[in-house]
Amino acid sequence: MKQSWLYFLRNWQLYILLLGPVAYFLIFKYGPMYGILIAFQDFNLFKGVMGSPWVGFDVFREVFGMSAFYKALRNTFMLNLADLLFSFPAPILLALLLNEITRVRFKKWAQTILYLPHFLSWVIIGGIMLQVFATNTGIVNLLLGHLGIDPIPFLTDKYNWLITYLVVGVWQSAGWGTIIYLAAITGINSELYEAAAMDGAGRFRKMRSITLPGIRPTIVVLLILKIGEIVQISFDRPYVIGNVSVLDFSEVISTFVYKTGVQTANFSLATAVGLFQAVVGIILLLAANRIAKKITGNGVF
Amino acid sequence: MRNRVLSYALLAVFAAGLLDGCSSGSGNEAPAAAGAASADAGKQVTLKIGIFDRGNAPAGYTATDNYWTDYVQKNFGDPNHIKVEFVPIPRTDATDKVNVMMTSGDAPDIVFASTNVLTPYSYAKDGGLLPLDSLIDQYGPNLKKYLGSALDVGKVDGVQYSIPGRRVNTGKYENLIRKDWLDKLGLPMPQTTEQVYETLKAFKEKDPGQTGGKVIPLGLSLTPASFEPIVWSFIQDGLTDEQRYTLSENLGYPLLLPGHKDALKFLNKLYNEGLVSPDFALDKDEKQVFQDVMNGKVGMFSDNLGNAYMDNPGIAKVLTQNVPGANLVPVDPYTNNAGKHLKPEYDPTGFFLMVPASSKRGAEAIKYLDWMAKPDVLLTLMNGIEGEDYTLVDGLPQRTQSEETAKRMFNSNDIVMITQGEDFGSNEKNWAAAAAIAPEQFRQYVIDAYKMSLTDTTRYANFTTPIEAENKYMPALRDKYDQLIVKSVIAKPADFDKVYDDLLKDYMASGGGAIIKERTEAYKAMAK
Repeated sequence: MKQSWLYFLRNWQLYILLLGPVAYFLIFKYGPMYGILIAFQDFNLFKGVMGSPWVGFDVFREVFGMSAFYKALRNTFMLNLADLLFSFPAPILLALLLNEITRVRFKKWAQTILYLPHFLSWVIIGGIMLQVFATNTGIVNLLLGHLGIDPIPFLTDKYNWLITYLVVGVWQSAGWGTIIYLAAITGINSELYEAAAMDGAGRFRKMRSITLPGIRPTIVVLLILKIGEIVQISFDRPYVIGNVSVLDFSEVISTFVYKTGVQTANFSLATAVGLFQAVVGIILLLAANRIAKKITGNGVF
Repeated sequence: MRNRVLSYALLAVFAAGLLDGCSSGSGNEAPAAAGAASADAGKQVTLKIGIFDRGNAPAGYTATDNYWTDYVQKNFGDPNHIKVEFVPIPRTDATDKVNVMMTSGDAPDIVFASTNVLTPYSYAKDGGLLPLDSLIDQYGPNLKKYLGSALDVGKVDGVQYSIPGRRVNTGKYENLIRKDWLDKLGLPMPQTTEQVYETLKAFKEKDPGQTGGKVIPLGLSLTPASFEPIVWSFIQDGLTDEQRYTLSENLGYPLLLPGHKDALKFLNKLYNEGLVSPDFALDKDEKQVFQDVMNGKVGMFSDNLGNAYMDNPGIAKVLTQNVPGANLVPVDPYTNNAGKHLKPEYDPTGFFLMVPASSKRGAEAIKYLDWMAKPDVLLTLMNGIEGEDYTLVDGLPQRTQSEETAKRMFNSNDIVMITQGEDFGSNEKNWAAAAAIAPEQFRQYVIDAYKMSLTDTTRYANFTTPIEAENKYMPALRDKYDQLIVKSVIAKPADFDKVYDDLLKDYMASGGGAIIKERTEAYKAMAK
């Protein structure tokens, strides 16, 4: 006890520095968590958390009885899995390719161009997409029309929409995602490459046997994080890109929560869905971490 | 020891966060009926008033700071020692935004979201609104006189929880057609739905507007203004009261009334023959369809009454600039099985104005509305300053065509929240007054459109007491209905029946059935 007190006294400046971040997490991350309580209440927005009657698990029963909820859940998994399949490898490939560019100027320039879409908000991207992909007036279909091809309903047919959704996702995020991989690649010992070159390895061989294993821990960590997020889905992307005719696919948990929670003012239900989402998320995260540790020896924690 | 200290510190911070949350929650409960805190004491108080922000303010003005907000402050605020503060409510997401405002306790002292009676009902049920009976008796003589019996619509279980604005012109929609195209093809004005179909086909085949194959014979968007005029015209004649009451719901979709399926089948045919806007499902705010009309691609379309001819968005005006000789005229062609031009009509109420229970300015809120209800104030707010913004011709104000006036009057309709439109005593006078706001060359068309909007109308069948199931299911059903429209219209003709029936089943299972059940009970109770 005495020792640790001395230890504290010696490093008190560090603890003071720590106080800021800790306070931030407590106030802004843990503080609002008392709001979870309304998932177990028949919440009345004018009476508040303290005044609303308790209903136990009734709200969850209602949620699990709603067919719309299952549909939203299914779509969330589907969109996220498809995204994982396409959007996750994209930045890795891109980073590998960028890494092979030898002319520094061109590389910098290419990177900047690739990052740019990341800074556009989904609302703007949604507007651009309408201009580009609309069936009648979209530029893609106008071009196809000149080639004598019938217009393709990119946004109003649900299967086409799914592809559009994924492609736009890759376009928006792949460039930005390369940053972390490029950083990891920089960390690889250049002697390895020299040695490989001495042994007669070509570019592809070096990529496969040095670069990829070199960034494997990074890939695994990011994959685990991604899997942990598989029940979470951002609100703006499906909401902005989706429309009524593809609601079968575009209605996901976040838009469902928005519609039942904010538009119907059914806050208890929205909170219950959110809580469910968080619980499933943490289970998946733990599972993915354990599996990754077993297979590769790398994990987040 | 180190751990002890740290954990106490953490606990303290955590508890502070908790307490903070609690107190803000219970703060909402504070009885605020003390709204009578009189302003005569000489101390200035702040009255917050909601105002729609339609994002259309001219340069130099905003929705919350413009000619009329200054006018209100000078003529109402200053004499009463009240600082008037306008709070923007975005028009497009009004209901959501107001929900959030009410939840967080940030709602202005006069707040409104929609013309739907469910809005005040659901807030009142949760105890979120201030009862206004005694305040109106005390501070609202002019208001009472102006609104008359319409005030009763704002009562929930006999208590005045909201003040329904008046609606003078109850016509809802207009249908418009390019007369110059008809003339060019030597076609008559369509008088029946069948003739509409022939006309649209001719527009498509002969392309009288020389659009180079881009012609859209019938412009559509995914809005009630595009669909309701057509869909309602298919509803069969001779509905009984029982049908009207038990088979409708609060938003007025005629989904369950006989004829609805035929309507969608008709639209499905039009869609598959390429006669309507192909991307209508993406057009949720009519922007695309307006654009197409203004560019001279559209032969026919439907819209909210009066919208096409007004300065803003200026559909007819821009069209005539873009396409010389274009002539957009109102028409009333759709007919049902009995040859009637069935169409819906608004209730004579407008927006429901509410005062949140947490407001301490109930008295000032009523005073404000009462001030507005004075005939001379109302006339000024709606028409501007005589001589500057309008001149009186036969007792009707004729708007001056000047830039300053157009700028000044951009949101006067939103400022006069107690009424939609101005009552001059008769339909003819009211129509003429509505037309007087439009540019001169369109005024006769506006009068025609208003007249057409009231032939063979039907009112939405709503009970005086709200239906609980509607409160619960309506928002979700709104999406379901949109989905039903889109999917059954774009289905292949062979699949139409299956698609429609499946979606209808889904609609009924998602709350439509529960609404019918409750409505049937309510109807039985009412018929007794």
